[in-house]
Amino acid sequence: MTTHGIRRPLLTVSALLIAALTHGPLVRVSAQARSQGAAPDLATVSATRAHVEALASDRFDGRAAGSEGAKLAADYLVDQLQRLGARPLPGQQDLRFAFQFTGGVKDGGSSVALKAAGGDAERWTAADTVQGLSFSDSGQVSGQVVFAGYGLVVPESGSFSYDSYGAMNVKDKIVVVLRYYPEDADEQIKTVLARYSGLRYKALAARERGARALVVITGPRSPNAGTVAPMTFDAAVAGSGIVAASVGGVVADALFKQVSGKSLDAAQQALDTGNPHVAGFEIPGVELTLDVKVTRERQTDHNVVAYLPPQQAGSPSVDKPYVMLGAHYDHLGHGGHGSSLARREEMGSIHHGADDNASGVAAVLAAGAQLAGMKRDRGIVLAFWSGEELGLLGSAEFTRGPPVPIDQIAAYVNLDMVGRMRDNKLAVQAAGTSSAWPRVIEQTNVPIGFDIQLQNDPNLPTDTSSFNAASIPCLSLFTGSHPDYHRPTDVASAINVADLDRVARFTALLAQKVANLPQPPDFIKVRRTTDEGGGDRAALRVFTGTIPDYTSEVQGLKLGGVIDGGPAAKAGLKEGDVIVEFAGRKVANIYDYMYALEGVKIGVPVKVVYLRGGNPAEVTLTPEARK
Amino acid sequence: MASDQCPVASVHRLRVALLFLASLLATDHWPLATSHSHAQPTATYSEKDFLSQTRRLTFEGRRAGEGYFSPDGTKIAFQSEREPGNPFYQIYVLDLRSGDTRRISPGIGKTTCAFFHPKTGDILFASTHHDPRSLELQKAELEARKSGKERRYGWDYDPEMDLYVANQTTSALKRLTNVRGYDAEGSYSPDGQWIVFTSTRDAYNRTLTASEQKQLEVDPSFFAEIYIMRADGSGARRLTNVNGYDGGPFFFPDGSRIVWRRFDEAGLIADVWTMKPDGSDQRQVTDFKSMSWAPYLHPSGEYLFFASNKYGFENFEVFIVDTKGTKEPVRVTFTLGFDGLPVPSPDGKQLAWTSTRDGGLGQMYIGRWNHEKALEAVKAAPVRAHGQK
Repeated sequence: MTTHGIRRPLLTVSALLIAALTHGPLVRVSAQARSQGAAPDLATVSATRAHVEALASDRFDGRAAGSEGAKLAADYLVDQLQRLGARPLPGQQDLRFAFQFTGGVKDGGSSVALKAAGGDAERWTAADTVQGLSFSDSGQVSGQVVFAGYGLVVPESGSFSYDSYGAMNVKDKIVVVLRYYPEDADEQIKTVLARYSGLRYKALAARERGARALVVITGPRSPNAGTVAPMTFDAAVAGSGIVAASVGGVVADALFKQVSGKSLDAAQQALDTGNPHVAGFEIPGVELTLDVKVTRERQTDHNVVAYLPPQQAGSPSVDKPYVMLGAHYDHLGHGGHGSSLARREEMGSIHHGADDNASGVAAVLAAGAQLAGMKRDRGIVLAFWSGEELGLLGSAEFTRGPPVPIDQIAAYVNLDMVGRMRDNKLAVQAAGTSSAWPRVIEQTNVPIGFDIQLQNDPNLPTDTSSFNAASIPCLSLFTGSHPDYHRPTDVASAINVADLDRVARFTALLAQKVANLPQPPDFIKVRRTTDEGGGDRAALRVFTGTIPDYTSEVQGLKLGGVIDGGPAAKAGLKEGDVIVEFAGRKVANIYDYMYALEGVKIGVPVKVVYLRGGNPAEVTLTPEARK
Repeated sequence: MASDQCPVASVHRLRVALLFLASLLATDHWPLATSHSHAQPTATYSEKDFLSQTRRLTFEGRRAGEGYFSPDGTKIAFQSEREPGNPFYQIYVLDLRSGDTRRISPGIGKTTCAFFHPKTGDILFASTHHDPRSLELQKAELEARKSGKERRYGWDYDPEMDLYVANQTTSALKRLTNVRGYDAEGSYSPDGQWIVFTSTRDAYNRTLTASEQKQLEVDPSFFAEIYIMRADGSGARRLTNVNGYDGGPFFFPDGSRIVWRRFDEAGLIADVWTMKPDGSDQRQVTDFKSMSWAPYLHPSGEYLFFASNKYGFENFEVFIVDTKGTKEPVRVTFTLGFDGLPVPSPDGKQLAWTSTRDGGLGQMYIGRWNHEKALEAVKAAPVRAHGQK
């Protein structure tokens, strides 16, 4: 799963769980399982364990797209697919589908120059004084300078409005902004601002207002004060449409010397209150010249896509003869690409990605092995994507140039992070994309018996989005986030293998049901602002007035406070309370809490179980709409 | 099983009737019954004490509910609004092993309240499909929903409703009742010889007074009474004779008594009652002074389930209580929204019920039932101060 929104590693795990995993035995599907399509005896043989242990082992080195580890993983997949009897798609010779992507980015010698009226120009070129932002256009621009605070623009849907630009005209100017977001705002406000504080988003905001370039400074009151922003790899690299660079403290100081009566420190301090009325200002009489040179490295990786034809030749001809199962197999390598959430002591270690997404790959392989022996009127396509972590690159490439006609695909079922099932709960997402799904899900689940949380929104941070955009009915299975998300601690030993096997069985039965539908599922375009269903937009809409205590290490969500007059305060919750259950869902950490929020509706009371002084109690809280 | 037990019907029914009452209360909770407070400390439980592996069973359609197990426990017959072109409930049989669902009712008109014959597995239910206006009524209802003018509650105690039995393999239908009035909410005796059911036939086979006529227009359920007849539909006999809605009757597992629920005349308060199959020895079991209904015996015969809105007028929860009501009922569900229509599996190890816990209008849920814990809790419950009535 790609990083989406703010997922900070807020809780520590007691110990690093990195196990020295060796390459596990390859899975052989028993003849019986193959002929019956029966679930293997879970007590003795797991259909998924060996796959997870193999893919999450050191040998595959974190499976970063374009890396040697990813190529080895692709080899593993090809081998396993051949073992279960899958073959290339009709008209294809190979299971591998190469695609190119930008795999790295470097600064090729950017510079910045300042010229004050009547003064001499000063110019900087050192890497610690100026560096292009990874998504910047290359080019040289000059112009007048406007300081626009933190450069934050929070749309109306936030709990309050915030616009660093206010009434300022920045057209054809060079906009200078602070990195991050106001330091002293309260936690609740910061949580909202943080979502909009990404540099790419700030660049977009500047570009939309007609700015000629964006210059980012790390303020003296911020973490990493005075440093340039590292050139983190950014996947959707090209086409940000604006020249953007980060400059060091020395450049910032030289610039603010031209501002009479206001130091950068003072300007930042005023902004840091979070008061939305603190305005930016022009820096008159200064011409800034920015010359950004960013070079991008093209790399190649592969999707692995295989085919199980309809069960026998002469199967009845059906409308839309392909049903797809998919999972991305790439992960973060050693975490160098920016979306790692590794703690300081873990940085640079292998990110094993056992849940994300060796689990999904293992389940699709196991489901494929079962489907190979099951009656099916449509063919099954087993797809394994690379480049997901860099922005759904592989699946997007597939839907852009599909090896089978895209309108012949009846449905796509995605598995991403399905290995950490808790309390029998399985989120079935994107269910709003077809009216056929409720029946198929109901019938599939009766013999499996998951506690299914149905969510309609298909706009998910996973490969489902590529298929939804291509108007293909889709579903995505997900067992929830966890504190090891995008960290080296996402290891095979933490996978709930027994339930992963059940997910594989569920997937096989689901695929078979779709494959045998007389009519393919219809496609429903789900509007982004759907009132029901999940997606983290729903969580954002909901206001509970809780202020999480990010520093605590308790089981549950400890409250650092509650917002006066908010739903939590009205319910009687107080600072120090530890929420352990919200709306029927267990809350062990902030991720669980966010997940629980996705399921609630504005105005519909929910039960909150909490600990106060260690004693359990419960209250009813009525979520409100964010204003 | 009673049609008005169809959750939304009842919830909306209450919503209308109780708005004024709720506005008088400082909280949205019902006042606790005062007659049975007791010094003895009450054990506190949570849902997990009684139910595990709870999960949603149905997803298709606008709503589903009232699931009853087949005699061998491998199937559930239920009602659901999922038939294309028909906004009303139809009856479906869900195979718990394969997950396959089959419609057993004709697909036309309104149906409600399925129940398996304990020996043959044939399925009893009520239907209006013989009403020539059925398609017209479906269309009118669909249009009303489309225009947003859906009635506050969709259950109208249609006097066309009659009892039918469907052959479980061929779905061939046999009509069991054929008199004007709502005949529904039927269930078999354990030996399969008898059917108890609810009927408003009394309101249609005699001349009503002016005030009765007005009552019939406002709330026909006022005239609903419990009847018994042979399984072939012959020999119908009335068992209750009290104003207000008597409905939802089921036999005890040993056939010795019948459990049902009785509303007061205003239709606001309901309680669980039991009686002998001849209508004698009528005893009140519950006394929450709230809406306690949808009773069903555990197959052990040791206690019965019911649902009550004691904890908030739309927050129905499932309770268990000894069959004589000598002890305080024990709450077994603890989730906001509607939890009701509890029905245990024939082996007593599972519970199916209807809930709105995930939002919407109600779907069926199922979970593993901890009978030992339930029995322990029923036995440990404090004795009611005033005893039974």
